[in-house]
Amino acid sequence: MLLKKMWGLAGSIILTAGLLAGCGSEQQNVPDTGANVPQERVTLKVGIFDRGNSPSGVTVTNNYWTNWVKDSFGAVESYIDVEFVPIPRSGATEKVNVMMASEDAPDIVFASTDNLLPYNFAKQGGLMDLTDIIDEHGPNLKSYLGDVLEMGKVDGKIYSIPGKRVYQGRYTSIIRQDWLDELNLQMPATTEETYEVLKAIKAAKPDSIPLGFALRQSSIEPIMWSFVEPLNEEQRYTMTQQLGATDFPVLLPGFKEGLKFLNQMYNEGLMSPDFALDTDGNQLNEDIMNGKVGLYSEDTGKTYNSTPGIAAKLIASEPAANLVPVDPYTNSEGKHAKPGYLPNNFYIMVPAKSERAVEAIKYLNWLASEEVMNTILNGTEGQDYNLVDGVPQRIDSQEVADRMYNAGDIELMTSAVDYGNAEMNRKAMVSSVAEQFRARAEKSYEIGETDTLNQIRFPDPIEAEIKYGAILGDLYNEMLVKVVMASPQDFDATYTSMMDQYMKSGGQKILDERIQAYAALK
Amino acid sequence: MRLNWQLYMLLALPLSFFIIFRYGSMYGVIIAFKEYNIFQGVMKSPWSGLDTFRQIFAMDNFWNSLKNTFLLNFLDLIVSFPAPILLALNLNELRLSLFKRFAQTVLYLPHFISWVIIGGIVYQVFATNNGFLNEMLGALGIGPIPFLTNPGTWLITYLLVGVWQSAGWGTIIYLAAITSINPELYEAAAMDGATRIRRMWNITLPGIAPTIILMLIIKVGDIVQIGFDRPYVLGNASVGDTSRVLSTFVYQLGMTSGQFSMAAAVGLFQSVVGLVFLFGANALARRWTGRGIF
Amino acid sequence: MNLNDQSVAAQATIRVFMIIAIFLCLAPFVHIFALSLSSNSAILSGKVSLLPVDFNLSAYKQVLGDASMIRSLLYSIVLTVSYTLFALLMTIAAAFPLSKDKLKGRKQMMVLIIVTMFFSGGPIPEYMLVKELGLTNTMWSLILPILINPFFLMIMITFFRAIPTALLEASEMDGAGHLRSLLQIVLPMSLPVLATIGLFYAVGRWNGFMDSLYYITDPKQFPIQLKLYQIVQNSMTNDTTITEGTQYIKILPESIKSASIMLATAPILLVYPWLQRYFIAGSQVGAVKE
Repeated sequence: MLLKKMWGLAGSIILTAGLLAGCGSEQQNVPDTGANVPQERVTLKVGIFDRGNSPSGVTVTNNYWTNWVKDSFGAVESYIDVEFVPIPRSGATEKVNVMMASEDAPDIVFASTDNLLPYNFAKQGGLMDLTDIIDEHGPNLKSYLGDVLEMGKVDGKIYSIPGKRVYQGRYTSIIRQDWLDELNLQMPATTEETYEVLKAIKAAKPDSIPLGFALRQSSIEPIMWSFVEPLNEEQRYTMTQQLGATDFPVLLPGFKEGLKFLNQMYNEGLMSPDFALDTDGNQLNEDIMNGKVGLYSEDTGKTYNSTPGIAAKLIASEPAANLVPVDPYTNSEGKHAKPGYLPNNFYIMVPAKSERAVEAIKYLNWLASEEVMNTILNGTEGQDYNLVDGVPQRIDSQEVADRMYNAGDIELMTSAVDYGNAEMNRKAMVSSVAEQFRARAEKSYEIGETDTLNQIRFPDPIEAEIKYGAILGDLYNEMLVKVVMASPQDFDATYTSMMDQYMKSGGQKILDERIQAYAALK
Repeated sequence: MRLNWQLYMLLALPLSFFIIFRYGSMYGVIIAFKEYNIFQGVMKSPWSGLDTFRQIFAMDNFWNSLKNTFLLNFLDLIVSFPAPILLALNLNELRLSLFKRFAQTVLYLPHFISWVIIGGIVYQVFATNNGFLNEMLGALGIGPIPFLTNPGTWLITYLLVGVWQSAGWGTIIYLAAITSINPELYEAAAMDGATRIRRMWNITLPGIAPTIILMLIIKVGDIVQIGFDRPYVLGNASVGDTSRVLSTFVYQLGMTSGQFSMAAAVGLFQSVVGLVFLFGANALARRWTGRGIF
Repeated sequence: MNLNDQSVAAQATIRVFMIIAIFLCLAPFVHIFALSLSSNSAILSGKVSLLPVDFNLSAYKQVLGDASMIRSLLYSIVLTVSYTLFALLMTIAAAFPLSKDKLKGRKQMMVLIIVTMFFSGGPIPEYMLVKELGLTNTMWSLILPILINPFFLMIMITFFRAIPTALLEASEMDGAGHLRSLLQIVLPMSLPVLATIGLFYAVGRWNGFMDSLYYITDPKQFPIQLKLYQIVQNSMTNDTTITEGTQYIKILPESIKSASIMLATAPILLVYPWLQRYFIAGSQVGAVKE
């Protein structure tokens, strides 16, 4: 108690001193509206992700691009000093919570690509209403983000600014073309054909894993969603379950058939036997690189990228191997339905207590201008890239890689170079891929965007999803593992009991709340 | 006795540490009874009474996690608690001094590997189909044994990995206790012709008994506390019903956009239960052995 | 002699058991060491177990060539040494008086301390306290909030109480104060427990990084384990990076990760062999005094 009083006392002394100092400076700085009088210098604190990957000799807050931003933005708004504040990428949410609670957050702060955090902060009164400031100081930002900006609204006001996700495709499947040729098989185009191909692979290569599978969304979703029946609007709104940032099909018609399909694959030995343990996908990657896998699905672009370099490493040991993108699963309408991403990237927030909201918007507006965006993401011509057919091609050297290592984290307004048309954007995305894989990578990006299902979002998050989301997400994996690994005769019983547990653990609450929210929407 | 002021003087700094740093932030526990708004702060957030507790107690997962926490800790108490004692006694019996020193130094190595990395290694070793151990057993015509995917065998794997990770490190305290035993006692016993086993039983064990009792009381007090990393890293979807514990439950609450009040309520529940168990164990120890820790 | 045979057999059994245990404890380290010396393509295709494949030192060259790693290593050493020193002194200062049954208010103080083993304010109030005391971004923020571990304090009290009271009373008869008996009798007799608790503090501080994640934002003051945590997490979040749609993020190779683990673990591993002699010294001092 005494201690608290002492702190209070110390606080009031400091406060008084501050007031006195304030009075003093006010007397000196007679308010002046003249444009040529230099404004008081201010410091704008900008968050930056620390991923622990800084090259030797630089830090995440002091490197080529932070310095470039300080100089270049300083040239535009000479009264603003930019100071970068590191936010550790792993544990970002916890860190931002603590910074927010202690009024210690930078003026530009962000943690995740889902809207739960900004929504909670806004509801608790911790975020600055940016609506008017954007109107006044953010013309570029408004025109570049367009509709995406709507996603930052809570109760009709803009409380956060979502960066734009340029490419919204999510998953692509990859198949061993050389195995198809070897076994005289056609490229599969429907789920039934795919099943036949997998069986033929198993028969010809008993030691192989026809379908590579990990306990990850990238393995699960392309298959499960292809079994979901076409839905009307009401079904989509009420029966989808959003756990974390992803929509789950647990209650949708067709879900059980999807599980049945996987159960059959598992019991016939067609898919990775230890998938239940492979939550990071490392085992799957290893199997692919060792030439054991016939077909698998992945986060679009992964196979052909230089890290971890799946295709390159497979070819190094098996020169004839040919990994080719494919769209193997079809729904009842014959479409290759699979989830895509929402058009947003990180949600950028300005704390309610920030005194630099205007400067923050000026900064983001500057980042949203085409010239700045292209410079940060591409670098300098001749130094970091060369123009080939009008598309910048990254120069492949350690020096360039080290200089550009965090450019993507500096440019907050977009996830990638944006030419405003899908084909050019795909070309730009594959420009960092090794020459020999570029054509296939481009095809893989094209497939990723084919027949994508849009995620469903209510204007306000569902409370029950915030509360039970993480618990149900784990339970979903448990259900999947247990049901898929059940023997065929136990399938129904296992499904029923797991479904029951899911509904009891919060699934029912989400369903009820969604039905209400949908009624309110009408 | 006249100079007790020296004792209180010694205590001044340590006590101020506890008061400033441990009690200075203790007011945070009341967020379990509040609808915590991080921007209004702990004090100004509105009270919510026992609502948070009611919500938690209504969740199936909470009870399942509590049950598993008890189960895993209880089994650990039976399996992992005696392991370092036995290991320390064994080390003490080793005669080759160089080998003894080397063994001591190596046995505590696993304590220094982070659980994330242990998790990766455990998976490589114990996986059902391409795990190292099952490949070896397969060559002998045994298996495959689902070390990680069947609740029963998973429990055994969980316990053994725990022993492996902590037993060597745990010996240090007992070795320190053994070195504090007066060597004259051993010499006298040797002259009486007592066997090594007898000396171990009559001198070494009584010599380290206070330490064993202390460690046991602390362990019992921690019966509802459970580290996050070990169950989280070793657990997997096939054994979720068994590997789900309070620490992972709180993690889920915390991760889903900051259910701080709920996490605090679970924490408070654990603290109260832990304190009760600690005082209980201490009272029992006092009654049975005449020695408590306070 | 029968007795001798028995003890030879017992020795052999213990040794065989120890050798197996030693292998099990050593293997993971050898594995990580082998990874740090192998090429990345060999690691990714799962070929490396206990021996390096495509032996090379490039990972170590790269890690040791990174000035920030070396700085973090030095920072961690200074931090660990100072913390251990302060923590040990404070723990002794608390344990000695509390080991005396007759001390007035002892029970109340013990309860005050034990309560802190179970109750804490949680991360946000703790952070606010450290911030208000002006400790953020100083080494003090990693020392003061965890200065005394109540559990270690209990251990020390238990050991102090095991010292025969006759010895202490004899010295107090001579007119010596408590401080003198602490310095001249208790501490010299307690070297094993001092070494143990010192080791516990040192290892705890060396391995702990969660507090630095909150209290330190200046990269110049990152302890080595915080850097290591970020490196390990970075390689785990490859896929997150892809799903964030953020292009052009550099991903660290596996061998760098392993080399960093070796570098961050080696210094603290050296402490124990060095402390071992105190365990022997302690028992001798006890014998002489009695």
